[in-house]
Amino acid sequence: MPHPHLAKGVIVLFFKPMTGIIVVLAMTLLQGCVVTRGTVGEPFQEEAVSAIKKGTTTMAEVVSLIGAPDRIVRGNDREIFHYYYYDGKSPAMLLLLLNFIRMDVKSDNLYVFFNRDGIAEEVVYGKRTGRTRFKLWPFGD
Amino acid sequence: MLCLLLLCAGCSIRRVTFNDVVTPEQVNFIRVGQTTIRELADHIGAPDEVTESDFGGVALYYWSDTKSAALDFGAIGRLFLPYSPTMTLSKTGVTPEQFQVVFDPQWTVRAYGFSRRATDEPVIWFWPF
Repeated sequence: MPHPHLAKGVIVLFFKPMTGIIVVLAMTLLQGCVVTRGTVGEPFQEEAVSAIKKGTTTMAEVVSLIGAPDRIVRGNDREIFHYYYYDGKSPAMLLLLLNFIRMDVKSDNLYVFFNRDGIAEEVVYGKRTGRTRFKLWPFGD
Repeated sequence: MLCLLLLCAGCSIRRVTFNDVVTPEQVNFIRVGQTTIRELADHIGAPDEVTESDFGGVALYYWSDTKSAALDFGAIGRLFLPYSPTMTLSKTGVTPEQFQVVFDPQWTVRAYGFSRRATDEPVIWFWPF
């Protein structure tokens, strides 16, 4: 004896051919589609970044606002905190004979430059991940 | 349509892009001895890496475009036969590029330049020899 829900589904498809056509068409069009997303780190909170004030915010305050840096770099005799976030979007179409796979990865970076007293001297922030796209077509720019 | 499908049979096309391209036109505004790292970031975004060299602080911008294509001659056989071995030709080209800026101790631009620019590879190019 068939499962009652399965039997009901078969009845719906049988008596509502339009629904059946739409379901079959959707399944045909979507078969072989793969959508993947990968991230590294945490996205930046804009309020936390703008709360860093040049000449007043200390190293400890930066850590409490944003967290420990991903890297600490030394440049021109200054300590630099580097925070980063990566976002990758990858759609793919894996058909019987033809495969298209594309991935777009972009990064956000935040640098806080400290003077010798541990006070923020410069903040450099750039956000690119807002432009990451699920673009399947592999040709063109 | 059938001919087109048979021509495409076994084709696999992959492309991975990392970050936005920085073009020479975008960095026209830079004036050596005047432009600061902050102004640079306002125009082309924050660098991907800041490091130190013997000449001073260095900001590095990275981007790349990876193109890979493969052609499997066994794909058509799989439509008709229970087993068809893979016979694949494949080629991948990775073109990492960099824009480098060297700063003086006040983080003002001292010098800048692009890495060796690669020739633009076609998206579909599976001949590995």
